[in-house]
Amino acid sequence: MNSNLRRGIYGWIAFAAIMVILPHVVGTGVTRSFVFAMYLAIFAVSWDIMSGRTGYISFGHPFLIGIGGYTTALLTYHLHWPLFLSIPTAVVMTMIGGTLFFFPALRIRGTYFALVTLAFMELIYGLVQVIAPKVTGGTRGLSGLETIVTGAIPNYYLALVVLLILGFTMWLVIRTHIGTALSAVGMDEDAVRASGINVTRLKLFAFMLSAFAAGLGGALYVHYLGSIAPRALFDVGFLFQILVACLLGGAGTISGPIAGAFFLTFLLEWLRPYFPGPERFLIYGAVALILYVYQPNGLHELVRNGLKRLNQFKLSRNTS
Amino acid sequence: MLKAKDLSKSFGGLKALQQVTLRAESGHSVGIIGPNGAGKTTLFNLLTGEIKPDSGHVSLDGVSIDTEPIHERVKLGLARTYQVPRPFAEISVRENIRVSMMEDNLKYMLRVAWDDTGEKAIAESVGFTAQQLDQLPSELAMGDLRKLELARTLATNPKVLLLDEVFAGLTYGEIEHISNLLVERRKTHGTTYLIVSHDLKALQPLVDDVLVIHGGNVIKKGTFDEVVSDPQVQNAYLGTG
Repeated sequence: MNSNLRRGIYGWIAFAAIMVILPHVVGTGVTRSFVFAMYLAIFAVSWDIMSGRTGYISFGHPFLIGIGGYTTALLTYHLHWPLFLSIPTAVVMTMIGGTLFFFPALRIRGTYFALVTLAFMELIYGLVQVIAPKVTGGTRGLSGLETIVTGAIPNYYLALVVLLILGFTMWLVIRTHIGTALSAVGMDEDAVRASGINVTRLKLFAFMLSAFAAGLGGALYVHYLGSIAPRALFDVGFLFQILVACLLGGAGTISGPIAGAFFLTFLLEWLRPYFPGPERFLIYGAVALILYVYQPNGLHELVRNGLKRLNQFKLSRNTS
Repeated sequence: MLKAKDLSKSFGGLKALQQVTLRAESGHSVGIIGPNGAGKTTLFNLLTGEIKPDSGHVSLDGVSIDTEPIHERVKLGLARTYQVPRPFAEISVRENIRVSMMEDNLKYMLRVAWDDTGEKAIAESVGFTAQQLDQLPSELAMGDLRKLELARTLATNPKVLLLDEVFAGLTYGEIEHISNLLVERRKTHGTTYLIVSHDLKALQPLVDDVLVIHGGNVIKKGTFDEVVSDPQVQNAYLGTG
């Protein structure tokens, strides 16, 4: 067990090292793609801590991300709040929004929970456009938002630091007793209660962690883009990117969804020169589907099996 | 000491339990028998808080636990096994036991499990081998699933243990092993047992008293021998003919 943890930490160090060097090796265009990949990874990590293990499948993560994004956008745009105040406020607001997800989770789970959270997303998509469109910018949204840093490389490092801290923290969390208990919740919630564990508190903890990451990621993301619009955020396409990143990478593992987010972003980029039109998405969908059918536990499991086989090969060579 | 007073529960028109009163002194062992559908499992569900009684009260060591949720009752020392084992299917035997061993606070739960001596000791006590700790429940035979069910319950460190058909599907050797474990634990920990079993032969050496439930009513209370020789009890089991 200890060796697993140690190997994982080495993996994180290697990942961090490569990511730190990367912008000096690749061009600005690729660096910008990496920034998008890292924000998607942050959202995927957020999804994974809530839904990856517990069986409370969120179809409404854009709702949470949107609360974070809109809160900081409105505060800075209209009230000229400084970023160091507006972003923490956005995180707090998202965590309050996260409790809205939590209430249905007291009674329903699985598909029903997914549908209720999807309804949250659709609801806010409508509300943002209808209620006080002068404030929210309505359908068009707001642009010309303040940016934290400018240029591809500073933004790259900002996203990297946030991803590393959030990702590593969540990765550690699911390797504690909490992770085991969250898995158990996903398998038989009543049996977890009968083991003497307050499941409600456990779920609330996971939901709040998830909302924290979604709020922080969402707030930083809109300040990276410099704009916010309902169709870009509260969108099924955006939701599916998060979901597919998690499922493709391996839900419940944290490192898997991060890998999934990178894989997805770059799959689209690599396909672009060959398929400039929308047919790119067809191929992208097909690749995702084939990978998922081949290994439902995702990239994480593929890599793990590969390493296992390599170890067995080494062992068999040493013994023979 | 576990006390239940006048517990009643109806499901729609079906009166599953009517005014059931029982008392298990500390360190005592009470057998509960009755034909299928008599209300034995419903009684357990009412005691653990999984379903709410229509009327009646439950107390543990003289303190009412009527308003305590399931997990609080477990922490107070009231634990159960399920008639149909309910393991966490996709985590190892070790992790299954770990879930029950955890303290219920986030500070404790945010620790990494560095060693598994506690899990190992419990797993071995119910008869698991060291290799089986890494197995998934889906790889286990019925007998081993029952052992896991018992191991998970013991891991909560119960004062009162409700055992629902723990011997079903076990071999004679396994029944003997589990029986010895229960007897031993009663001596060392003073554990109180409520044991539901259809296997009267396995039940006999384990219980001080037996409660017979039939159609949601307690029809007889007494020692094992008194109860099994009672004509009313024999009728309940075999029919009046």
